Amino acid sequence: MNPFAYERASNAAGAVAAVAGHPGAAFLGGGTNLVDHMRLGVASPDLLVDITKLPFDRVEELPSGGVRIGAGVRNSDLAADQLIRSRYPMLSQALLSGASGQLRNLATTGGNLLQRTRCVYFQDVTTPCNKREPGTGCSAIGGYTRYHAILGASEHCVAVHPSDMAVAMVALDATVVVLGRLGERRVKLVEFHRLPGDDPWQDTVLGHGELIVAVELPALPFATRSAYRKVRDRASFAFALVSVAAALDVEGGTVRDARVALGGVAHKPWRATQAEAALRGAPATAESFRRAADAELAAARPLDGNAYKIPMVRNTMVAVLRDLSAEATP
Amino acid sequence: MNHDPAITSCSIDGRAVFAAPKLGQCLRTFLREQGALGIKKGCDAGDCGACTVWLDGEPVHSCLVPAFRATGGEVTTIEGLGQPGALHEMQRRFLDAQGFQCGFCTAGMIMTAAALDEAQRADLPHALKGNLCRCTGYRAVADAIGGSVEAQEDVAGQACGASLRNPFGEAIVTGHARYTMDLSADEPTLEGLLHLKVLRAEHAHARIARIDRTRAEALPGVVAIFTWEDVPRRLYSTATHEDHLVDPDDSYILDNVVRFRGQRVAAVVAESEAIAEAACRLLVVEYEILPAVFDPEAAMRPDAPVLHDKGPATLGSRGNIYAEIHGEVGSVADGFAAADAVHERTYSTSRVQHVHLETHGSIAWRDEAGRVHVRTSSQAPFIVQQKLCHLFALPARAVHVFTERVGGGFGGKQEMITEDLCVLATLATGRPVKWEYTRQEQFTAATTRHQMTTRVKLGATRDGTLTAIEVRVVSNTGAYGGHAGETLAASLGGPLTAYRCANKKADGYAVYTNLVPGGGFRGYGSSQTTFAIECAIDELAIKLGVHKFTIRRKNMIRPGDWIESVWSDPSDVDFGSYGLDQCMDNVESALASGRGAAKPAGEAWLEGTGIALAMLECGPPTEHRSGAEMRLVSDGRYHLAVGSTEMGNGSVTSHRQIAAELLDCAAGQIDIINADTDRAPYDTGTFASTGTVVAGQAVALTAAALRENLLGYASHHTGAERAVCRLESDAVLCGDRRVRLAELYAAGSAEGHRFEAKRKAYLSPRTVAFNVHGVRLAVHRVTAEVRILHSVHGADIGRLINPMQCRGQIDGAIGMGIGWALTENMIHDDGGAVVNPSLRNYRIPAFADVPPSEVYFADTHDRIGPLGAKSQGECAINPVAPAIANAIADATGVRFAHLPLTPDRIFADLGPAR
Ligand SMILES: Cc1cc2nc3c(=O)[nH]c(=O)nc-3n(C[C@H](O)[C@H](O)[C@H](O)COP(=O)(O)OP(=O)(O)OC[C@H]3O[C@@H](n4cnc5c(N)ncnc54)[C@H](O)[C@@H]3O)c2cc1C
Ligand code: SF4
Ligand code: FES
Ligand code: FES
Repeated sequence: MNPFAYERASNAAGAVAAVAGHPGAAFLGGGTNLVDHMRLGVASPDLLVDITKLPFDRVEELPSGGVRIGAGVRNSDLAADQLIRSRYPMLSQALLSGASGQLRNLATTGGNLLQRTRCVYFQDVTTPCNKREPGTGCSAIGGYTRYHAILGASEHCVAVHPSDMAVAMVALDATVVVLGRLGERRVKLVEFHRLPGDDPWQDTVLGHGELIVAVELPALPFATRSAYRKVRDRASFAFALVSVAAALDVEGGTVRDARVALGGVAHKPWRATQAEAALRGAPATAESFRRAADAELAAARPLDGNAYKIPMVRNTMVAVLRDLSAEATP
Repeated sequence: MNHDPAITSCSIDGRAVFAAPKLGQCLRTFLREQGALGIKKGCDAGDCGACTVWLDGEPVHSCLVPAFRATGGEVTTIEGLGQPGALHEMQRRFLDAQGFQCGFCTAGMIMTAAALDEAQRADLPHALKGNLCRCTGYRAVADAIGGSVEAQEDVAGQACGASLRNPFGEAIVTGHARYTMDLSADEPTLEGLLHLKVLRAEHAHARIARIDRTRAEALPGVVAIFTWEDVPRRLYSTATHEDHLVDPDDSYILDNVVRFRGQRVAAVVAESEAIAEAACRLLVVEYEILPAVFDPEAAMRPDAPVLHDKGPATLGSRGNIYAEIHGEVGSVADGFAAADAVHERTYSTSRVQHVHLETHGSIAWRDEAGRVHVRTSSQAPFIVQQKLCHLFALPARAVHVFTERVGGGFGGKQEMITEDLCVLATLATGRPVKWEYTRQEQFTAATTRHQMTTRVKLGATRDGTLTAIEVRVVSNTGAYGGHAGETLAASLGGPLTAYRCANKKADGYAVYTNLVPGGGFRGYGSSQTTFAIECAIDELAIKLGVHKFTIRRKNMIRPGDWIESVWSDPSDVDFGSYGLDQCMDNVESALASGRGAAKPAGEAWLEGTGIALAMLECGPPTEHRSGAEMRLVSDGRYHLAVGSTEMGNGSVTSHRQIAAELLDCAAGQIDIINADTDRAPYDTGTFASTGTVVAGQAVALTAAALRENLLGYASHHTGAERAVCRLESDAVLCGDRRVRLAELYAAGSAEGHRFEAKRKAYLSPRTVAFNVHGVRLAVHRVTAEVRILHSVHGADIGRLINPMQCRGQIDGAIGMGIGWALTENMIHDDGGAVVNPSLRNYRIPAFADVPPSEVYFADTHDRIGPLGAKSQGECAINPVAPAIANAIADATGVRFAHLPLTPDRIFADLGPAR
């Protein structure tokens, strides 16, 4: 690791000022992603501003019926939180499906949203990668693409976003609360992560020195019936090949509303709006679920090594929706 | 809000520490510098959990925590959890159930387990996600956390056959056991310690035109730089065998031609690891790029670039073909002509890494007399000593090689990987030098299991009787040929011998390519062909409509059969015992019992069962020898010295038990040292399933000789007839007189009598061992997830010296077999670089991936192996992958012939969802 200086922030504004005023600075959350990257040479900040002692460690109910999650809330605490478990079970499931207990004890909500791709070339500083070193090219294209994107990729980058938590949050229509030098702004999570386009080095719309202070989840009564399902190589501990987060509102055999998001398929947690539209008003049958999946996957463009993801997403989505509708009509 | 980070004050295991972490240092290395050596490194990336400590009461991976973050905090490590004599409850449980083998993961495992609440303990697959163990297959870990007591009392006269504790168990569970790198910085021998790092090749095949070291040399703290111009130009092989002629001398310490991406280009020694690393980056290498070849079939073609041209000793028989083996008994042409059905298919296995949790590494230094000492993580310290002497033209007495506790080997440490450069640097600088592999280097620059592609053709008559077996094996040995010939021979040995058939033919090729070299790996070539043949036998059975057990029973080898693969010359393999029939019966009835988990609900789950068998010739066909020395010491205890390495295989435990049986004492009366060229007699190495049958035999012979010595002297001392003298615990009974051993010692030494014995054991004849594995599993047709519902294993390993350990070895081998079958695979890109050189992207099984197995031991007593025992640690892996592949085929109706069976591959062939 390269040498770096370390500060512990005691208030949010100070943290923002410290990072914003210093191009080589970075916020330090749990460090589980950043420290790993520093060791690999993928990131080399010269100043770390530790934000874990800031008072952003609470999960609070909002008057609107939603929930506000502090950016410093640990992944382990969030997964275990009563409010989350009862109102948004898919989020709790998503968190528990990821990483290990030791990591979740360290990892924060803000850091989890900002974790970077696990593209093997991105992590290997000896290979070209547009995301790590703009303009050097993408080693994945024509290389090993088993884990890469089938939706929304560009010719400059085909990486996927690795977070499980963010997939559930995007399905729940979360909003990210961000503090900058000029004050607070709110960004819809669907718009928070970017597609790679011509500038894949930008993962999100966050500017340098902007601090995530919270994530807000709106009320969504039917999310009590929701699920997160992850397909991976190993039962225990691996990033998703693909994943599906879904909530289903079924009445009298008809889908009133649905939320679906996909992980492991794109540069961002993928809100499956086409599928949702196809589901709304459709009969809650396997046939509709398949059609919804096909609607979403119409735009999919597989690479050499990941064509399997298309049927795998379709199958997984259908299975999750079927399980949810079976719960609805006992 | 700024505060001075220079001084970190925290508490480590209750002791206040004020120290300045280096800028950028992680908590793991900081704590180790503060003397907390119980903390281990398996990956330095958050994947393995070996570094788990509590930070303010919560388990975290200390390798991912910046050291500064501990400021004001309270750190608890394994050594603070409990102490020898005052164990924490969880440490005691790991001791009672022996929840470890090599023990390298144990500190982290215990720190995680000790923090679990009851609900978490009920869901260990989830709770232990962050802790990897390569040795145990996790069953013993589950037993430990669940509080079961497996270890038995050590009773004099009953040591053999009892589940005795590992003599170093308490040290392991408290973090006091010292592994290769666990030397505190203030150790006097390490004064002035230098750190070594290696610059590695960026190309798969290239000639080094020039290396510019000016900038690297100028870096403050750099002490020496070595390139190919600075090393003795002597050829050798990194592979270790008693007979060095079985491996090609095709390597230089540093070479001016690189033959795989990751090969050593230059070594830097510096005052710190960071400086050495930085200096490596400052070296400028000019390469002349040569054409590379990665596919062995392509490498065999006449137009392929040739990797080695170092003279007749290394040049393969033809271009890149390092070794070729051909053989036929009977006539397969006649056999196929007589067949009613013929099955033919190509199967392939993947390139996998051992992933012993302790990476390679060694520390070398010179003493005042100029002798070189090498502390290393090796399965073969004596051969390493020989190789070092050869390379540096030193007499044997000038080099001392030894191990401390070794954190797993599995064949990976049957290789000299780090010792040579450390010694080179020590000789050049006069200072101690340490080199520890990173996890990434384990994947890019150690050795792997040989990838083999195997064409199998089988013929049988309608009733399932085999009429012909034909096999063609192509083994990709990568850039260097260590173990290539021997693994190729093994690949055509046991797996073909296991079936009786008049007509057998095999062709094998071991081929150089520009990939990371192959090496020895548990199962040693035999695993690969077992996979192919056992899959093929199932396919043939299906074709014939014969049951999978029937076809095997009809054709499997039986006592009295001529033990023969495809060579008709006589072999030294013999039936010391035979329990394959029992293994088959045990597995069949266990599978039929319906135990294990039920098929998950839902029509998407497809269920199937599969079996496979494997045969092992116990020990290598090459020479192998071991020695042991034993003496009585003045307090009436025994001292045993054995050359073989303990790496988690349990040999120190079982060797004491063997000696104890012959001396009618408790194992606890025997102190043991091992794997040390100064302090123990010569041993070829602990590999090829020789820990029991050769080293154990040496111990048995030695203990028996010492017994004769003791009884003879006792008879002389007491005047009692020799025939009425016998040993009992810490005394000799001479008629009705009981003489304590301490007393006997005193009397004897006063007269100049020496209570000592030394014996050697050689390996011949070799006996046979068998394993049968069965699984019932479910495949999800939507996600292609594979869930093992019932795993059963039959093992014929002779008498069980220590049942708990035997079972542990089998559990561990099954776990490794599951990884090989389902997830593990080293992937290379078009340029020959390993794409997934980390535990995150190369996946070994975690707790959740390994179901508990039912293990049945055949009731056999071997007449060749020591005290009726035979080899056990190695062969259990062989039938696991084919059993799983056969079960998946049974469930889905689709044959997957190439490992690993990952969801995307299964998925691609399963067809659309229903
Ligand atoms: C071995 C391993 C396995 C894993 N498995 C999974 C998995 O299966 N699924 C999964 O989803 N994840 C997985 N993870 C990823 C893990 O969840 C993330 O590393 C973690 O959530 C990141 O959080 P952190 O607080 O540690 O972030 P940090 O490492 O501290 O920070 C990450 C980035 O976010 C920035 N940052 C942090 N907090 C803020 C903030 N409040 N405002 C602005 N910027 C901020 C940092 O500057 C840095 O750039 C795994 C990680 C490891 C190491
Ligand atoms: S896919 Fe993206 S992250 Fe991966 S190598 Fe290409 S540019 Fe880099
Ligand atoms: S060494 Fe820290 S998790 Fe492996
Ligand atoms: S005992 Fe777990 S890795 Fe060896």
